[in-house]
Amino acid sequence: MLYYLIVCRSLTFAQRTAAVLGRAGIPAAIRRTPAAIAERGCSYSVKLSQKNLSKALVILRKVELTPRQIYITEADGSYREVSL
Amino acid sequence: MIYLDAAATSLQKPVSVLRAVNECMRSCASPGRGDYPAARRAGQVLYECRQEAADLFGANAPEQVIFTVSATHGLNIAIRSYVRPGSRVVISGYEHNAVTRTLESIPGVNVVSVSGKAFDTEGDRCAFEQAFKTVPDVVICCHVSNVFGYILPVKEVADLCRERSVPLIVDASQSAGILPVSLQELGASCIAMPGHKGLLGPQGTGLLIVREGERLMPVLTGGTGSESRLQTMPDFLPDRLEAGTHPVAAIGGLSVGIRAVKSMGRERILSHERRLIQQLERALKGFEMVEVLGPEREEDRIGVLSFRVKGQDCEEIAGMLAEKGFALRAGLHCAPLAHRTAGTLETGTIRVSLSPYNTEAELAAFVRTLGKILQK
Repeated sequence: MLYYLIVCRSLTFAQRTAAVLGRAGIPAAIRRTPAAIAERGCSYSVKLSQKNLSKALVILRKVELTPRQIYITEADGSYREVSL
Repeated sequence: MIYLDAAATSLQKPVSVLRAVNECMRSCASPGRGDYPAARRAGQVLYECRQEAADLFGANAPEQVIFTVSATHGLNIAIRSYVRPGSRVVISGYEHNAVTRTLESIPGVNVVSVSGKAFDTEGDRCAFEQAFKTVPDVVICCHVSNVFGYILPVKEVADLCRERSVPLIVDASQSAGILPVSLQELGASCIAMPGHKGLLGPQGTGLLIVREGERLMPVLTGGTGSESRLQTMPDFLPDRLEAGTHPVAAIGGLSVGIRAVKSMGRERILSHERRLIQQLERALKGFEMVEVLGPEREEDRIGVLSFRVKGQDCEEIAGMLAEKGFALRAGLHCAPLAHRTAGTLETGTIRVSLSPYNTEAELAAFVRTLGKILQK
């Protein structure tokens, strides 16, 4: 299944991001950022379904939690950065 | 044992705190490192505690809550971030060695300790105003004296700092969980506090509440579980100031301790402790040999009281009380500056400090026992 990953700089930011989205009724799961896209080393990401991204971005901007990077999964399992 | 040393640590904790520590010990792995259930649980424990603390201490976001091992640790981070060799630092006349020794360790710092007449809020406010005639680089002020329970005019000091854009470090070691402490309202740069006193958490916990946008320097460097390729500490909070594995079980206990304080009600705790300390003060003043030290007005004090006995060594009196089952502390309480301000540096004092769990009957027993000791 294709999904988006919002890459967060720390676990705390990922937790806050997931909490804000959860309160808005958007399912968001925290997971380790895949090594292939973790440019600076370890980090956490928030996983979102495709249909929820635009609504999620609006909500996150409102609380000044603008994501640093967002990736989408490709059919071959790789990740492609999405320009914001 | 009757425990009267809550200003050192709150020995009696809610049962829910003990349960939380136990539960975390059994179920939490290292937070912020792995992606398996026990690691996620640990991360959740930390996040919940940050949220509880942010809510209680007026921080906008959980990342402004930094876990430390003690108030001393938090004060070290804050002081070493703002104070440079040659800085002019204004401090209150009641600071703990956690502040004064740390300042002493930075070469060439000009420390200006200000105080009016002892335990005089208005005098202290004027003394700070006077000290601002030359604008300081940093101001450090404890909210409450750990020796005398005296509440300093920290709000007025914060106003002075805000008007002149001077960083303010507040030591809330004795006030957190008892008095209102709000980062937003004070506008302080940061507020340091222990987790094991008024917040009823385990020892080995502390919090540093940091204003948004402040760039503090870590006193510990190491792994954070973030940006691991980089050989410098992350530039964002809380990771920048939290190297190494967190004491998750203790933090889990602290989280529940904060919830317990919220549920008991900070105002109720304060009014209970004030009522008891007033009763104790009246009783102690009935002994001719006893000199009670501290503010006159009830509203200037929390549940901490210092006294000394004419012609008697304070440590010996505390020792005799300990033999009779009373746990309290005598001496200088790691705050020689406060004793100098109060004129008790040569003798020290005996300190009674209360928690929400103390009762009238305990203090009545204390007064009876002290009376017997004094008759000997």
